Amino acid sequence: MRDTIVIGAGLSGLMGALALADAGRRPLVLAKGQGAMQWAAGTIDVWGAANGSLRAALGELITTDPGHPYARAGAAGVEAAIDRFRALMESARYPYVGSLERNVLLPTALGALRPAAFFPATMAAGDMRLGGAAHAGPPLLLAGFHELRDFFPPMAAENLTGQGIPARGVYLTLPPIARRLDFNTRVFAQLFDDPAFREDVGRQLRAARGDATRIGLPAVLGLRDPLGAVAHLQALSGAQIFEIPTLPPSVPGMRLFTIFREAIVKAGGRLQIGAEVLRGEGADGALTAVYSAAAAREQTHRANLFLLATGGVAGGGVRTDHTGSTWETALGLPLQAPGGRGEWFAPRFLNEAGHPIYRAGIATNPQLQPLDAAGAVVYRNVAVSGAALAGSDPIRERCYSGMALATGWRAGQILSSEL
Amino acid sequence: MTHDHIELSLEQSLDHCIKCNICTAACPVSAVTDLFPGPKYVGPQGQRFRMPGQPSPDESVDYCSGCRVCNEVCPTGVRVMELNTRAKAAIVEQNGLPLRAWLLGYQYWFGKLACGPLAPLANFGASNPLLRTVVERTVKIGRKAPLPKFSTYSFRSWFKQRTKSQASKTAAVPDGSQSTAPGSRKQVVYFHGCSTNYYEPHVGQAAVEVLERNGFEVIVAKQGCCGLPLLSNGAFKQARSHHEYNVEQLLPYAQRGIPIIGTSTSCTLTIKEEASELLGMHETAVRMVAENTYDIFEFLRLLHDRGELNTDFKPVQRSMPYHAPCQLRAHNLGRPALDILELVPGLQLSESTAACCGLAGTYGYKAEKYQIAMDVGAGLFDFVRASGSDTAVCDSEICRWQIAHGSGLEVKHPIEILREAYG
Ligand SMILES: Cc1cc2nc3c(=O)[nH]c(=O)nc-3n(C[C@H](O)[C@H](O)[C@H](O)COP(=O)(O)OP(=O)(O)OC[C@H]3O[C@@H](n4cnc5c(N)ncnc54)[C@H](O)[C@@H]3O)c2cc1C
Ligand code: SF4
Ligand code: SF4
Ligand code: SF4
Repeated sequence: MRDTIVIGAGLSGLMGALALADAGRRPLVLAKGQGAMQWAAGTIDVWGAANGSLRAALGELITTDPGHPYARAGAAGVEAAIDRFRALMESARYPYVGSLERNVLLPTALGALRPAAFFPATMAAGDMRLGGAAHAGPPLLLAGFHELRDFFPPMAAENLTGQGIPARGVYLTLPPIARRLDFNTRVFAQLFDDPAFREDVGRQLRAARGDATRIGLPAVLGLRDPLGAVAHLQALSGAQIFEIPTLPPSVPGMRLFTIFREAIVKAGGRLQIGAEVLRGEGADGALTAVYSAAAAREQTHRANLFLLATGGVAGGGVRTDHTGSTWETALGLPLQAPGGRGEWFAPRFLNEAGHPIYRAGIATNPQLQPLDAAGAVVYRNVAVSGAALAGSDPIRERCYSGMALATGWRAGQILSSEL
Repeated sequence: MTHDHIELSLEQSLDHCIKCNICTAACPVSAVTDLFPGPKYVGPQGQRFRMPGQPSPDESVDYCSGCRVCNEVCPTGVRVMELNTRAKAAIVEQNGLPLRAWLLGYQYWFGKLACGPLAPLANFGASNPLLRTVVERTVKIGRKAPLPKFSTYSFRSWFKQRTKSQASKTAAVPDGSQSTAPGSRKQVVYFHGCSTNYYEPHVGQAAVEVLERNGFEVIVAKQGCCGLPLLSNGAFKQARSHHEYNVEQLLPYAQRGIPIIGTSTSCTLTIKEEASELLGMHETAVRMVAENTYDIFEFLRLLHDRGELNTDFKPVQRSMPYHAPCQLRAHNLGRPALDILELVPGLQLSESTAACCGLAGTYGYKAEKYQIAMDVGAGLFDFVRASGSDTAVCDSEICRWQIAHGSGLEVKHPIEILREAYG
């Protein structure tokens, strides 16, 4: 019934679906479950390994490593994808800031510093390069709640201080209206949607602030209007407020998913979450149908165009077993991977060159069409994007989400206009 | 206990849990009440404390509504809802079936008694606040929970009448069943379920007419309750005999390749998967009936895929909110009703993103869970009210009653809308 199918609802599949919807297609997105989005920080890491300009680093990478997923997207493609992503977030009143000029350093829940290129405006005041090189400004305040597991402001503050960024951590008292037995990040996000809850927290922050001009809180400041929540807390506390990503489930990830879903559905697309693709069927070099798990029998989906964005091992798109063999789960595409387990890893854990297994994935041609071991196109009407692609080491390069966006966008465009 | 492969896959699915809590963040029940700690805790985590032959360590698992939102979002495929339902059954096995679960599980008996001429009297009783208060005090069935109204005629009686008036044309079909539109080559069996029979015969009438418009002879086979209310209350032994009966009745059709079609997403899910999975029934006959059973819009969509759907639709100039019930989502078929209804010119359906209406089978009927169910459904009621429409659309009967109760709108089965579009 729908002539375009996207497999995978992570950042890459959703970005691809958006590109397809923009081009007037009405994609059906099939996914086994939520993508890695709810596990991740919600920042867009384009090239965390870069010290200076990301734009320059990408330019160099694209010329020297044409097999890298970023090279498939192209320099203009990367920029276009980011522009489209930012426009979408802007229209949803959840703007992203940052640039390809340089990475900023954002604190993690443990007080480590993490490079990111683009990040929600709600995290902006957390840029640890602000306040001068010697961090001459007053100490930061980090605040949290005992009730929120895995977020320890004193510990994070101590770690920051140890890195030359003076900080102080405090616990706030949960307002009585919010008493519950158990809390998770979503429960807190719902509480922060309530202005009365924010009033109480804001007053406590003002009292605890001292001379701090910036206050870091866990990234749970609302699901409905986080930007408004941050502004409200700033007005109440008299300091700049920024969000610090938490451990999963990630509230910034939930926001992203909701914004994408609404845009895709509004453009006539549809999402079917819970639909694991088990296999595909092709004829004459083209994929004609995919089959998803359903009650009592598989569901058949016929279409003309397919985007495969099933992620890597974490997303469930790539599996391995004890024999060391690896395979792609949805269509059974051949993987470009080290032969046996013995070849997966380099000798040292923190090896300069990274571990061969991390570069594993589906090999493609410049049109992102999947290739077999002999280099021939497997299905001409399929494009592959995101963590499922071979040829990069996203952990070492810190480029997972940037690459997912750029290749998802590019794959959507290739499918809608070039294949 | 037999260690069939389902059992094994359930046990293994427990080990797939990476404790990310994505399910807990999505569970609509734990979002509104402290009485339920959430899927991760009572599901894969709690399972580690459940030992065969040992007393059940569970209390809170009873607050799982069975909506399956957790299964849908889990990135690693843990089947939390099945773990929970089995844990509930272990409690029933240990403590016996409470009177209330018995009443809710065997609700179709009320239908048998009250549907027809006695309906006005029964409806008076069901809507009488004094009586409902007594019922709440004694058996703890929520005083305000949305009990459906008994119909003054049953679907089967309507169908029989209709068949009689077409008597000269009636074809012979296996005993106990009736059929329409004889002479047609194509046959389907209609599984109406209890609610269509006793409360909403108009849904069945619309289904029969739509199927006939597509050239099918409709057979209404002998059938009993699918047993879902028993299953969800942990009464596994009783549910098994219901499923066995239905399989026996439906098997001859399945063997002849005649599709079995239902308008109740919960009945069809029970026949397709729920009964066999939860009860560990994997005989060939059970599987054959399951594989031949379809949700009506799933069936119509398959017809459309083959270019065989009658798409001679009149424009329907309406915009309405639509909610995909949990029981439909568990079929894992996407949104077949939306796929078909978008073929109707002028018709605009906007889909809710609410996780659940709250009622979840018989959950919201229980006095201590009534408010939880209303709180879970609040987002959906708001969405439906904000649409400005006077009618909402939903495939499942229980959800329709709950949405109507919570929002004040009239709620229809999508097949009624499609029937309208055929003019
Ligand atoms: C714990 C964790 C933390 C992370 N933190 C960061 C971070 O800080 N910064 C960063 O940039 N990146 C981070 N990432 C990585 C990043 O978020 C994603 O891996 C990346 O965005 C890739 O996205 P994707 O869309 O390609 O794949 P995924 O997000 O993995 O999505 C894959 C999708 O495909 C579906 N799928 C898989 N197999 C099938 C199948 N057979 N049938 C149907 N559907 C299927 C999945 O259900 C899912 O919806 C993190 C990842 C993890 C696991
Ligand atoms: S979503 Fe799945 S993997 Fe995550 S905690 Fe829940 S059951 Fe475990
Ligand atoms: S089935 Fe529904 S109520 Fe039960 S744990 Fe899962 S999400 Fe929560
Ligand atoms: S699920 Fe169907 S057959 Fe079962 S009780 Fe409900 S309406 Fe009756």
